Amino acid sequence: MSAAVIDGKAFAANVRGQIAEHVQRLKDENGITPGLAVILVGEDPASEVYVAAKHKQTVEVGMASFEHKLPADVPEAELFALIDQLNADPTVHGILCQFPVPDHLNERDVVARIDPAKDVDGLSVVNAGLLASGEQGLVSCTPLGCLMLLRDQLGNMSGKEAVVIGRSNLFGKPMGQLLLKENCTVTIAHSRTADLPEVSRRADILVAAVGRAEMVKGDWIKPGATVIDVGITRIPHPDKPGKTKLLGDVDYAEATQVAAAVTPVPGGVGPMTIACLLANTLTACCRAHGLTEPAGLTA
Amino acid sequence: MKHVNDDPRFLRGAPVRQQILSDVASYVAKAGRVGRLVSIMIGDTPEVAVYIRGQARAADQVGLPFDQQVWPGDITQDECKRRIQAMNDDSDVLGIILQRPVPAHINVRSLQSAIHPLKDVEGMNPASVGNIIYNDVALAPCTAAAAVELIRATGLPMEGLEVVMIGHSEIVGKPAAMMLMAEGATVTVCHHMTRSVAMHSRRADVVVVAVGKAHLVGADMIKPGAAVIDIGINQTEDGIVGDVETDAVKEIAGWVTPVPGGVGPVTVAILMRNAIVAHQRQMAAGWLD
Repeated sequence: MSAAVIDGKAFAANVRGQIAEHVQRLKDENGITPGLAVILVGEDPASEVYVAAKHKQTVEVGMASFEHKLPADVPEAELFALIDQLNADPTVHGILCQFPVPDHLNERDVVARIDPAKDVDGLSVVNAGLLASGEQGLVSCTPLGCLMLLRDQLGNMSGKEAVVIGRSNLFGKPMGQLLLKENCTVTIAHSRTADLPEVSRRADILVAAVGRAEMVKGDWIKPGATVIDVGITRIPHPDKPGKTKLLGDVDYAEATQVAAAVTPVPGGVGPMTIACLLANTLTACCRAHGLTEPAGLTA
Repeated sequence: MKHVNDDPRFLRGAPVRQQILSDVASYVAKAGRVGRLVSIMIGDTPEVAVYIRGQARAADQVGLPFDQQVWPGDITQDECKRRIQAMNDDSDVLGIILQRPVPAHINVRSLQSAIHPLKDVEGMNPASVGNIIYNDVALAPCTAAAAVELIRATGLPMEGLEVVMIGHSEIVGKPAAMMLMAEGATVTVCHHMTRSVAMHSRRADVVVVAVGKAHLVGADMIKPGAAVIDIGINQTEDGIVGDVETDAVKEIAGWVTPVPGGVGPVTVAILMRNAIVAHQRQMAAGWLD
């Protein structure tokens, strides 16, 4: 048996296409252009690459992109003043501050400063609480992306056994909540779980997010399961000296022999993250204007 | 139910409650004036009265002033919000308890959100729920926290503990799952769409049931030696019972909480503990001298 490959790159392109159509309609029918503001503090090269990618895709779907670059030693008060200004700006529907920020700034305080209705990364405690309370909020991008892939792959997930490996605030916990909302029976397993392979083998839907390369072996997977691999570990490339290679949490070669469908790394969950950021910005924009939210782009 | 007091298989709430209340009382005695707890009942809802009496009694026991307010049944949402906001700004108000149910024209969720998180002793504001997701579990919804305290009282180590939660309500199941996970337990949440609840509950070291259906959990669903926490309260012909077939389960389980007398008494004690956590946080935020 060979598993289907879940092509996140193609799916993300499709999601961006839907967003672009919706943005065009908003412009034509309502005269509204959704806007995303990205704040970058300091000059972390990896962050600059991410921010550039976000900017490019934001513009491609027809949204307004506002970039704010601040020096690494920017005082907290100055950053907060910028966030306050963006919170109040009606042309800005989504705000995100690229992490990590320099040590003198506290990430949680920064997120807390952003209006929850514009917190398109879905990281604030208020949005986490709204999700857990089953209320309307903004859902963080990576779990939302996984949910979209799963919906596309499986349709109705009701009654399925779902196991999420990893209990992080940013991924494992919101992912568990989203799967509960789909009426899955959800287990969140983690480093302290007594028998991780045994728990994993129960899963019809297995989501791995721990950041340990190829930890999930073929015999951890129930035959016919759908496997979503969120982990990313960069290792020196085995064949090309000086180059690197990305590995997921799942032993991909083994998993494809057992599972029904698997996301590859790279090209699986990764491309969904920015697509979901844009989806959240569109959703936030529609809510801000009291318009119908786009279907299929939120939890 | 006979012999609840002397059968060691019953995990009784009373000793846990006493311990918490006595810790709170010594904190209050040391702190001096800590402000008052305000209980808001909107309209005349007699079924709430018994809960309010229980809260008032616990408050009295720990030395916290308890202000029982009854607001008119035809009060507007805006007026409720205005009054709550005034309490948020009043340094003599330590915490706010919004009794439920409320009249149909009142949006209870929006009022719960209006209570400042530092005065949210019931842990219902979305920001309070979010804090629990983010492992800041000190101000948790009372029933969920009570379930966790009772599990702790068994002495079972939380790390690696297999917990199966039956029922995924916003006020009990989900926050309790998050709190137990934060302590290292592996938590599975089951509900009405779960294919086989018994398959899960039979492998669990701890089963927490919060569904509200009498006789839901029988002895055949429990692993020998497990701890069973029964949060259900059901009015039946035989009086008040939980979700668990207590007499049968007691023969298999290592511990089972009785209903009444298990989770309930601890819940009110947690409310008092939340009040002093609120006090500590208000001090840390510079609200109080």
